[in-house]
Amino acid sequence: MLPLDTIAYTNRWRPRHPGEKALLSLGLLVCAVALPVWPGALVVGAVATVILFGPAGLSVGQAAHALRVPLGFVVAGSLPLLFAVGGSTGVRIDLHGLTLAAQLAGRSTAALLCLLLFAATTPLADVLPRLANLGVPPAVTEITALMYRMLFLLLDTVRAIREAQASRLGFRNWSTSYRSLAGQGAAVFVRAFDRARRMDEGLALRGYTGSLRVDVESRPVSRSFVLLSAAVLVAVVTVTLTIRLALQ
Amino acid sequence: MHIAEGYLPPLHAAAWTVAAAPFVVHGCRALVRQVRTDPESKLLLGAAGAFSFVLSALKLPSVTGSCSHPTGTGLGAILFKPPIMSVLGCIVLFFQAVILAHGGLTTLGANTFSMAIVGPWVGYGIYALIRKLGGGLGVAVFLAAALADLSTYCVTSIQLALAFPDADSGVFGAAVKFGSIFAITQVPLAISEGFLTVLVIRLLIKASPGELSRLGVVRDSVRRSGASAASVGEVAA
Repeated sequence: MLPLDTIAYTNRWRPRHPGEKALLSLGLLVCAVALPVWPGALVVGAVATVILFGPAGLSVGQAAHALRVPLGFVVAGSLPLLFAVGGSTGVRIDLHGLTLAAQLAGRSTAALLCLLLFAATTPLADVLPRLANLGVPPAVTEITALMYRMLFLLLDTVRAIREAQASRLGFRNWSTSYRSLAGQGAAVFVRAFDRARRMDEGLALRGYTGSLRVDVESRPVSRSFVLLSAAVLVAVVTVTLTIRLALQ
Repeated sequence: MHIAEGYLPPLHAAAWTVAAAPFVVHGCRALVRQVRTDPESKLLLGAAGAFSFVLSALKLPSVTGSCSHPTGTGLGAILFKPPIMSVLGCIVLFFQAVILAHGGLTTLGANTFSMAIVGPWVGYGIYALIRKLGGGLGVAVFLAAALADLSTYCVTSIQLALAFPDADSGVFGAAVKFGSIFAITQVPLAISEGFLTVLVIRLLIKASPGELSRLGVVRDSVRRSGASAASVGEVAA
């Protein structure tokens, strides 16, 4: 399993209804993007951090591991804003760009924390069967669920093939590395379709009619959690706008 | 490179979602129609989607000594065609956002537009054109994969430039700025992905000619002459 998925399955909020967690985390995400960056990013980021490490029970190590790559993307994406091109000097350091880069990094970090709050508490297996309730065609949700089931098997396959290739000096130089990578890609393709065909045969023998219905565990929506989440969102908007007005 | 969560201003994020929506909806309709007429294809489409996800997780060696990941948009478009790839690509990007925290939900529309729509259509267009003009499979696959990768990053540069115009030279200057920075890594990576995709297709012709014929990538004559005895193990070795 992937690290973030493992965290989601073992998280203390896992038994909660996905809709409750979506309201809180995606509501905060909308606040992070829609509210003025200063002080919106700071307020949303702080609230998301407190919830992540407090009630949601994530450790700092887990959060750092999950966020290190996306934060790298944010930093890499912010660097070009520090420079202005054209004009008489060709390339110059843009002081206004520094402010813009800081704002952007702040908003992205806050948004990433909100995304992490949802991703680290809600396994996709809980979300996918409920997507049909949001109007997604059943065929699309079923294919999405099949993809989710198969991708872990295929990732394990790639890992096993990669280890086997590495132990046979398959990554000794560029030429062998490309050959090994092509082998991985082709093997995954063959395995994926072979597995799909075997699943199809297995289902046909069990009277498959074209519908892949799964048993969705019924989880009551906690009214107190929903009310508390709504209160948090209202508080975030109010505090942000109050600070903003006070600063002006 | 995905556009990270929260990176785009809300209006831009919404506009790119609106721009991507018709392609994804069209792809969804095509997919629903296909599943209705051929229920078996549901499992094969699931396999195709999972393959697309795993393909983007392969570690490609780069000239800087580090590793990067292929976009897989060119290969996906050649194998499964662009309308299906728009849906599968969108789902893959959703998975990457929710189980890897790469990309994001607010930037899903923008990332879908560049990686699941423009990349596959450019790749497939190049592939179809070269094949129609009588070009070889290897050349067609190489150019399709490389240009699909490059076009994805060109669109990403334009998306970022529109959101953050340069102080001196505006949107055009910003597009050149973002494009130049991406080009340092992306031009070698696009060439790498082109070579890798050619190797993958060659291996698939040996190992899975029936499937490639069913997908319309090779003709039956190639399938019959293909080394059908090649096993999965032989491919991976």
